[in-house]
Amino acid sequence: MKPNATRIRNGALWLTLAALPTAVLAHHSYAMFDMSQTVTLQGTIRDFQWTNPHSWIWIDVPNDKGTAEQWGIEGMSPNYLARRGWSKHTLKPGDKVSVLIHPLKGTERGGSFLSVTLADGSVMRQSGGPPPPASSAP
Amino acid sequence: MLAVVAPAVAADTPASRPDLSGVWEVTMGVRTRPGPGMPEQPSLTPEYAQKLADFKAAQARGDFQETPQANCVPPGMPGIMNQPYPMELLFTPGKVTIIIEAYSQTRRIFMDGRKHPDDPDLTYNGHSIGRWDGDTLVVDSVGFTPDTALGPSQGYRHSDQMHIVERFRLTAPDIMEVVTTIDDPKVLTKPITATKVLRRHPDWDIAEYICEQNNRNLSDDKGKAGIILNH
Repeated sequence: MKPNATRIRNGALWLTLAALPTAVLAHHSYAMFDMSQTVTLQGTIRDFQWTNPHSWIWIDVPNDKGTAEQWGIEGMSPNYLARRGWSKHTLKPGDKVSVLIHPLKGTERGGSFLSVTLADGSVMRQSGGPPPPASSAP
Repeated sequence: MLAVVAPAVAADTPASRPDLSGVWEVTMGVRTRPGPGMPEQPSLTPEYAQKLADFKAAQARGDFQETPQANCVPPGMPGIMNQPYPMELLFTPGKVTIIIEAYSQTRRIFMDGRKHPDDPDLTYNGHSIGRWDGDTLVVDSVGFTPDTALGPSQGYRHSDQMHIVERFRLTAPDIMEVVTTIDDPKVLTKPITATKVLRRHPDWDIAEYICEQNNRNLSDDKGKAGIILNH
């Protein structure tokens, strides 16, 4: 299940101060992203940066003139993703993919990662790993 | 024949206590439960209520949308204990060490009976001393720089008088509850308490986290968010 980051930001709950973990608050806010918008990018992977503090998906997306435009998509760190079914090989240059994002506010071509659909139809999310065993839930 | 040497800190060897060692992550699904009497909002002194009001007014004008963490500055305590990355608790004679993956931070909790310094240098993670209270590890920390925030909103400040008590205890074999109580006589008119739940992951190791490796986020001197998209 995806961490409910939006609710926490908007609620600004005092509880967050002392106890709540959130993915987004680890490193930066969502201030620069338009969280009310969800955009699907279809294109070809140019590069997949498996780096801290964020992974970055660089994707060439054809525009309506047929020219490729590069988008940069920010995801969680390798540390987080590797524990949830990802590896540095999950995406590689040349892969044809569809990426769901929250776009940046303004006109720059970038966004915050939500999910990616690979060429074989499989979908990877940031918290895409298997759920913990029910028996060990507190 | 070898002479028997008494351990320096026999009373607090891990063997006589619950095993809290290992790699732990704050649970995302369960999140937290308010502790008894937990306020919805902190009760602030007039001085710090004004600081919060000033911050919110600036935020309404577009400033302070971002935190220093966007520039890879660690959050310090208490925020560093609430990251979406694991931490490792190491028990060695006289000391508990918490290795926190996020921002590659380390907390040293002295279990050798020492007191806090009378006039501690002020740091992000403070000066911590610990003791066992039955099955509960009690960590008492002071000496925090007021450069860091009390919480994710930078509008909530703390002073150099912030005092944090954390109570760590197992509630199931791989489940640990941490009750955190914060007081600050300059800021809070009464202490705040929150409870979080961590899960132990025996098959995990702490990984490298070099925030400066490929940081494309930034926060300028007004806290405005920026992003670097050249690649």
